[in-house]
Amino acid sequence: MARTITLDHITKIEGHAKLRLKVDRGKVKQCHLTATEGARYFEGIVKGRRYNEAHEITSRICGICSCAHVIAAIQAVEDALGHAPTKQTKQLRLLLTLGERIRSHATHLYFLSLPDYLGYESALAMAKNHRPELQRALNLMRCGNGIIATLGARDLHPVSATVGGWLRLPKEGDMQKLRLSLDSVKKDAIATCDLFNSLKYPEFESKGKYFSLIHPKDYPFLEGEFGFGKERVKKSDYRSFLTEYHEPDSTANFVVKSDKRYFVGALARINNNRKLLSVDAQKMLRQSGISLPSRNPYHNTIAQAVELVHCVDQALEICSTLKIKPEEVEKIAPRAGTGVGMIEVPRGTLWHEYTLDAQGIITRTNIITPTAQNLLNIQEDIRQFVPRVLKKPRAQIILDVEKLIRSYDPCFSCSAHFLEVDWK
Amino acid sequence: MTKLKVGIYGITGCAGCQLSVIFNEDELLDLIEVVDLKAFPFIKEVNPDEQYDLIFLEGLVADKGDLEAAKKLRKNAKILVALGACAVTGCVPAYRNFTLKQNYEHLLYRKIRELQDVQPTPVDMHVRVDYYLPGCPPDKRQILAFIKGAVKGAIPRPTDNPVCVECRQNGNACLLEIGKPCLGPITAGGCNAVCVNGGLECWGCRGPTKDMNLPLMISLLKRKGFDEKFIQDRMRTFAGLKLPMLKEVLHGKNHHA
Repeated sequence: MARTITLDHITKIEGHAKLRLKVDRGKVKQCHLTATEGARYFEGIVKGRRYNEAHEITSRICGICSCAHVIAAIQAVEDALGHAPTKQTKQLRLLLTLGERIRSHATHLYFLSLPDYLGYESALAMAKNHRPELQRALNLMRCGNGIIATLGARDLHPVSATVGGWLRLPKEGDMQKLRLSLDSVKKDAIATCDLFNSLKYPEFESKGKYFSLIHPKDYPFLEGEFGFGKERVKKSDYRSFLTEYHEPDSTANFVVKSDKRYFVGALARINNNRKLLSVDAQKMLRQSGISLPSRNPYHNTIAQAVELVHCVDQALEICSTLKIKPEEVEKIAPRAGTGVGMIEVPRGTLWHEYTLDAQGIITRTNIITPTAQNLLNIQEDIRQFVPRVLKKPRAQIILDVEKLIRSYDPCFSCSAHFLEVDWK
Repeated sequence: MTKLKVGIYGITGCAGCQLSVIFNEDELLDLIEVVDLKAFPFIKEVNPDEQYDLIFLEGLVADKGDLEAAKKLRKNAKILVALGACAVTGCVPAYRNFTLKQNYEHLLYRKIRELQDVQPTPVDMHVRVDYYLPGCPPDKRQILAFIKGAVKGAIPRPTDNPVCVECRQNGNACLLEIGKPCLGPITAGGCNAVCVNGGLECWGCRGPTKDMNLPLMISLLKRKGFDEKFIQDRMRTFAGLKLPMLKEVLHGKNHHA
């Protein structure tokens, strides 16, 4: 008997998506995951604008990872202009990124993921019986948002980071306040690991490879090469690595590598860089009992919890050691060129690419988000996963599939923009 | 006392305004005691399709699905609030209305037989909106103040002061005076001039004030050395559809982006 499961509006994800699943005699006949966001054409919108406007505009691709788009755009434009930022500028960009990672992971873990595991329809419904857990989530979110607002003036779409440096620098006392705030949430990050380590995750192995930035010395955020195992891709070569195609009904893109699917995100990062995690993060990872490398997407939540600890530790180190020097935004003469920004953001690797003319006007843009890379893998994971749970009641199948989708922390707001189809 | 029944929904957008609601970290748990936050698909599985006292809608209308959702939510809401710049002005995604079609035409999906795309437009171009919470995103405390006000039956009135009023109160140096293209003088305040506090000139995300002097603003920017195309692009980035007079002020010229 053929069965169809259609989830027209998948909740507890960023943005809008739907799934169409058709099963006949134990076989998946159709499995189609599509973004249903309206198209926003960001690449078209920044065309014709000045080089130092790109990050302000592309920040609006996504609320929860607006810092990511700001930093990727700035990095790409500086690359095109042949500009190397100062050490202080780089450290502050990293701190902004860490703040965003903390608030994004905390939001995803507690508000979008945890209710599935504890049997609630939402985090709000958990308020009565799980207030301490929610309080912990809010503490972490407050800390992450505090870092972003201190550096960027606002917690969403921060404004102070710009091409050539910072429009406003934090004051000495600001760093001290952030240190105290980070100190106070360290225990919340550890408790988050304890909680997510204690949950039961379905056994499943994705056929996708795991790709992330890999760096010889530091856990990767803003620097490194894109890779898997021994494979490496320099950022200037990313176009030859990736091929893209558009799914017929989706305003988001599937990105595929040589027709082979892969995934990005926290699990890919710890698979590739686990030895570079902070001491306490490594300890929490060991306590999780998962063996790495893991291709079980449900483990992405554990990986996010482990990263929370790492991010708090690394942000603490920056706030304790960085002495803010007065530095003006560096003046950079426009010139023609193409540049690529490649960074790790909460959901995986993000690329921004801009081509500028001699006056510094943007003539061409390409943006590839983590979810655009993960989308095919999520869909194919569902196809692979569903046959083994077919005997379960319909509601349970739906819950398992939704948990699978949510474990990737997909952001359909991010992925729903049009990318260039023809690469020359 | 029956609690106010509240829904928070999103159509095409970045989810940032909805996040701003839950980023009220100190008040969120109290808020859900005071109101019945019954629908919030971003973080809730169960979101009944029924009557609400108050519905906040984030996002702009960019496809047929958005349009249907906006119409349905209008019907479901006693009070419909446009939440954030996309819903209020169309924000950055509506800037596409002013760019050359050739800038984005090649980005269209070739496989889509029937493109579900509609002109990107703010919510009030399709359904009646009772209140506006402008900004990209709105100040999270303002959203909270609005809900608290609604509970008490006294919804706070929006300010029509330009951004400059709060900016001066904050003691910021005037960015226009040092040659930055700040749109503060013609932009509705209420944001505590947060961008200027952070060193960035105002881009006008909260939309124009009712009594703005657009010709004066333009001539001021020209005197600072900005050309018409730049001025037009900047003003249209966040609120182009709310500045239809811009074309007239620029003497009918349309500098294509």
